[in-house]
This record gives sequence, structure tokens and C-alpha cells, in this order.
Amino acid sequence: MLMTGETLFNQYPIASHIWDEMMSAEGIRQQYHSIYEAGRQLHLDDFQQKHKLASELFMSQGITFTVYSENEGIERIFPFDIIPRIISGAEWDHIEKGIKQRLTALNLFLKDIYNDQQIVKDGIIPADLIASCPHFTREVFGIQVPFDIYVHIAGIDLIRGDDGTFYILEDNLRTPSGVSYMLENREVTKRIFPNLLGDSNVRMINNYPLLLHDNLVAYAPKQIANPTVVLLTPGMYNSAYFEHTFLARQMGIQLVEGRDLLVNDHKVYMKTTAGLRQVDVIYRRIDDEFLDPLVFRPDSALGVPGLISAYRKGNVAIVNALGNGVADDKAVYAYVPAMIKYYLNEEIILPNIPTYHMNNVEERNYVFENMHKMVVKETNQSGGYGMVMGNSATDEAIKKAKENILANPRNFIAQPIIQLSTVPCLIDGKLQPRHVDLRPYALFGPNGINIVPGGLTRVALREGSLVVNSSQGGGSKDTWVVD
Amino acid sequence: MLSRIADSLYWLHRYMERADGMLRLMKTSYILSFDKVQASSMTWEPSLKIFTSLPNDEIERLKKDNAAALYYLFLESKNHNSFKSIITRARENARGVQDQITKEVWEQVNQMYHQINQPGLKEKLAGPGAIITIDSFIHFSDQFCGISDSTMPRGQGWNYMNLGKYTERCLLTAEFTHSFFKKLDFSLNDEQDIIFWRSLLLALSGYELHLKNYSNLNHNYNVLQQLAFDKNFPRSLYYALDRANKYLTDIAASNPVEGSIQLLRTYGRLYSSVKFADIELVEREGLEKYLIYVRKELNEFSRDLGRIYFSYS
Repeated sequence: MLMTGETLFNQYPIASHIWDEMMSAEGIRQQYHSIYEAGRQLHLDDFQQKHKLASELFMSQGITFTVYSENEGIERIFPFDIIPRIISGAEWDHIEKGIKQRLTALNLFLKDIYNDQQIVKDGIIPADLIASCPHFTREVFGIQVPFDIYVHIAGIDLIRGDDGTFYILEDNLRTPSGVSYMLENREVTKRIFPNLLGDSNVRMINNYPLLLHDNLVAYAPKQIANPTVVLLTPGMYNSAYFEHTFLARQMGIQLVEGRDLLVNDHKVYMKTTAGLRQVDVIYRRIDDEFLDPLVFRPDSALGVPGLISAYRKGNVAIVNALGNGVADDKAVYAYVPAMIKYYLNEEIILPNIPTYHMNNVEERNYVFENMHKMVVKETNQSGGYGMVMGNSATDEAIKKAKENILANPRNFIAQPIIQLSTVPCLIDGKLQPRHVDLRPYALFGPNGINIVPGGLTRVALREGSLVVNSSQGGGSKDTWVVD
Repeated sequence: MLSRIADSLYWLHRYMERADGMLRLMKTSYILSFDKVQASSMTWEPSLKIFTSLPNDEIERLKKDNAAALYYLFLESKNHNSFKSIITRARENARGVQDQITKEVWEQVNQMYHQINQPGLKEKLAGPGAIITIDSFIHFSDQFCGISDSTMPRGQGWNYMNLGKYTERCLLTAEFTHSFFKKLDFSLNDEQDIIFWRSLLLALSGYELHLKNYSNLNHNYNVLQQLAFDKNFPRSLYYALDRANKYLTDIAASNPVEGSIQLLRTYGRLYSSVKFADIELVEREGLEKYLIYVRKELNEFSRDLGRIYFSYS
């Protein structure tokens, strides 16, 4: 006897002390009704068939990464779970307002910190915190950027606590990735749940590349009809290479590598079969320190020698701006509520998670006494690297973490562990709760901030795990905002 | 168009054309290996000589062992010219220009790559499934040509792709022809029956055309006539060079950079040496010398092309 969809849903456990996106103590939440109704009609077989179809779609389109073993590359897809994560329209509107507010303040902060540094002079943020930030980039001090926009593209990570409140987990203001998965996940869902998607009033996301393209064209330093916009990639061995080709194709712009570009007389050119052609806007997917070997790492072959001189002269726009890392530093994060108050005179809409600085002795002692309730993070790391979860780490790992903190306290922060909300995932023939976060993508253009509804939901596929990063065994889901 | 992109498009199609030629030669070799006729000594030898750099004693050993020969040509990663290596490189090139080729073309190359990496392929090739497997890849290759033709926009990219394709095709025909005539010491008068030539003609998809067009028994002449000079045979030297000439002229017209005139002139000399030649001339000059000349000039042309249009690093 095949298991029906109804049994699948009915066997889904009701969590205590954890917010589940689908199931509350009173039953299935409003926004999940349509998928529940549709799912009831199906059998486990149908779900598994859809799962298989989704995997094949990712594989044939080359949405894969390569694992190397025995000198041979094996192609793997990023795990995708077919059950969408659903957010109600009202919840989303709140998130959207909060992200816009945050981004506006962070952008003003970057303009301030690379020009007058008024926020430091006014004593809102300690000078040594900025000076000791490894991503505070003195080389770009005083450079004027078009429309005073620094954070053209942002990925803001949100999590949901056990009371249903959305918190900001971290800001990604340098080269946030994953947006192609958001878009491709939706395309795959269109194939596996065609009618359901149509009937559920899901807000559209596929205009993202068009919005981005319009913004990129607008950043061009000169008033010309057809500025040349390029996407600068580190090359096909980069793990996000699929995304680079995807975006270049969707926007109809050239995908270039550092070796395709050169700088002459403070202008950037690309090498074409018909000679050199000037480049006006670079959407770069290369980190700051690899962009220009004359200014940053001299051993980098990924960038373009002289690029920063062209940038300083205003002959080329670089997206995102250089030096943004100072604003998404995990120690600076704690000051964002103060920034919002300082620049906008508003209270923060989406709250931060309480953050303890390890170079403050009192806070450090408190954290050391409560290590099992804390997550320790390195301030300049991302992707889940350098993270210690106090509730699951071994004594040995905790001891090591304490030693590391004491050796360089500025490099670490600690936060109380928040039980991320869960969503149903199809695992081993059952619907099982797994923890998720949410990364909406915001585009900051001359006409304001646009956030496509939803974003990328990352899911920790291991039971009980709170780590959602793809580099640490995470997967993703399509994210619906329904009205 | 970016020089790097042009380079990758050119090589993508060179590799795909090479893979196609290889598949057809492997298929005929494989089928012929079951015929216990005089020609069976020729089964795996041409493929192994053309697509590997093995020493002679290894070739002697492999050519008697169907499964081993097929494995070495098809899947062996130590063989840099194995079918698998070629498809892997084609896919690398396609990946690097994903935004410049259509989604359909990319997916076709990508699918071929996944097919060649599927588990159990080695066993299939060793067993009775070998011919079906080779056929399925030939089918993929045919689809690639069709998909490219029906989805790629005509323009610079298309010109570089086709220049690569026809350059490679001309080289393959010259190589195949060379390796078969070598058995006869490049003699055009040595009498060989059609069975000897059948595998070469089948490998170049020209057997049926040959039967239709040539009724006299001077097979050596006829085969050379078709493979070198037939204007309607899509794998003849002339046809391939003529198509390449068109695409090169288009490229030079839209990219009049330094050196392009010289490149056209160099290519023109090679093209004329096929266009205005005939069998008598070749016989006078020596067939071996002629085939080597064509190959050498083509390789030099490819190098010059790279220097003039692809130099980006």
C-alpha cells in the first residue's frame, strides 16, 4: 500500500520550542494550505518522482559543482528540496521594510567611513573597531562613486526564532552569491508543481536580472547610450561559476575574466577580435584583494593591473564598491542598530541577535561561562567557516576556541544560539523538519531599493543541524511569498 | 567578440568534430573486427595510430583485443586523445563561453559529458552493448550539429565555430586517407578491392555516395578523387577547405586587424593547392608528400589564426 500525501503531512511532527514554518500547535498555517491540499492528492511515489525530475533538471543544465577525486572530476548538484518554503505577504512586507531601512543605513555608513568618518568622530562607533577591521580598505578612501551607492547588491541573512520573530543574522555586502539558485529553484518548481504555483498567488521573482541590468547601465560614469557592462568572473573553476554565466546570459552582458581586460591611460578595455573596446561598468564577482595586483595582492592573476586607478579617476564603475567588507564585519554588525538611529533617526525594524565582543573583558567572561549556549564566529569569515557551535562542540573544540579567542579577541564575536525555524523536507520517504534561514537579495539603484519577494531559503539537511551553508552540507528550497 | 571567447568557440567545434570523426572510425573498426577477411588486419590500427601516441608494439598488442582497444580509445584517461578526454575538453570550452552559446548547445555538450561519465560504461563497451553505446554517442553528435545549426545566431561566434569545425574535418580526412594509403605505400595503381576501402569510406560516411558515383574498378583513384576533390562530398578536403574559406573571409571582413590580410593569403595558398589540383598532379608530386603538405599548412594556419585573433594572455 503506497503512502498517501495525506499520511505524509499528518505524520509531520509538531515541534515544541521551535517555530515551524508550516505547522503550529493549532494545525497547518494559512500560507501552507494550498500545498497541503495539493499534496494530499498525491502519493509518496509522486513526490519521489518529482524529486528525481528536479535532480535531472539541475544536472542537464549544468547547475553543478565539481568534486575532485582520483584526478577525475565528479559532478554533483546542490541538494534541492521540492517542498517550497512559504512566507505570507504580510510577513514579507515587514521583512522588506526592515531590509530597506538597514541597507539605507549601511550605505550611508560606507559613504561616511570612506569620507568624513563623522560617525566615529561622534563616538557612535569606536575608532579602533574600524581601524582593526581587516576589510577597512584605506586604498579607496575618498573615491567618489556614482549616486553615492556602495552596496549595489546585498544578501541579508535572516533567521526566525522560536517566537516567530525574524532576526538579522548577518549582512553580505561584498559579492553575495546564490541568487541564481533562487531563480533556478523557481524555474524547477514551475516544472514539478505547475498548477499549484499558478493557483497559489505566488509573487513573481524572475525580473531580478532585468532590474539588475537596468541598475548596472545606470551606474555608467558617462552619459552614453550603450555603455559596455561586463561581469568579471574568476573563471570556470570558481564554485559560483554557474551563477556568473547564468547572470551574464540573463542580462545579455559579456562574461569576462581578468586576462580579457587591460588598463591603459586610466581606462579599462577588453580585448576583442576586433581590437580593444572600452568597458564602463564592471559587475565583479572577484573579492577586493584579488582585483588589482598593483594595489592589493601582487600575486593575484585574477584581476586587472591598474583597475583601481581607473576606478579612482571615475572612468569605470565597479559593482559592488570596494571596501564594503568594513560594513559586514561581524563585530561592526552589533553597531547597525546604532547606525540606523544615527543616520535615519529610526528604531530598527528587524532586530539584531545580541552580540558579545570578545575584546570586552566582561562580555568575554560571560561568554566563557556560558559556552554551551553560544555560537562563536570569526568576524571576517563567511560561509560557516571558523564557526563553533557551543551546544554540539567537543570539550576539546571549546578549549581550542577559547585559546583562539584569547590570542586575538578582536577577531571573534559570540552570539546566543538561536533555534532556527524548521520547514518540512522530503527525506527518506517522510516529511521531516529541518532548520532554515532566508537570504533575500536587495538591489540598490538610482531609483531606490528593490527586493524581489522571497529570496534563497537555505536548509540544513542533517537532522538537528543549524548550519545551512552549502559548503557545510546545506541545501536549498524555492521560497514563495503568497498573498 | 572577446578573443578568449573566439578561441573557445573555435576549439569547442574542433573537439566536437574530432569526437564525431573518432566515433565513426571506431564504429567501422568495431564492426569490421568481426569480419574474418583479408582487410581485418586494418581494423583497429588506423584508430590507434591516429588517436593515440602509443608505441608500435603496444598498438600491435591492442589491435588484436577488441575490448582493450575500444576502452583505450574511448575511456582511457591516460590517452589525451581518448573520446572521453576530447568531450571533457569540449565541455570545458563550452563552459567558458556558456553565455555566448545558446542554452540548447550547452545542454547538449553537457549531456554528452554526463553520458560519458555514467557508471557502468566500461562494462557496456566490453560486452555486446558496445555497438549500441557507440551508436548512441553518434546520435548525440548528430544532434549537436543540428542543434548548433538551428539555434546559434549567425555572426562572429558562428564563424569561429565553423572555421574550427571545417579545419578539423579537413585534418581528419587527410589523416584517415594518409593512414589507409600508407598500407599501399601510397600507390594509386596497386589493386585493392572495395572491401579494403569500405572501412575508410564508412568511417567518413561516404560509402553509399561512392557506390553511386563510381562504377569503374580503379578503386584507389576513385577513393582519392572522392576524398580529396569531390565538391559534393561533405567530408572531402575540398569541401572542408571551401567552407572554412567562407568563414575565414567573413571573420577577416568584420575584424580587419593587423595580420588578417597575411592570414588570408596563407590560407588562400593552401586552398588553391586543393581547389586547382587533380589526381594527375598529385600522382606526379607524390600522394604522401601532398597529404603531409595539406596537414602541415593547416596546422600552421591554425597557429597563425591563434596568434592574430586569440592572443589574450
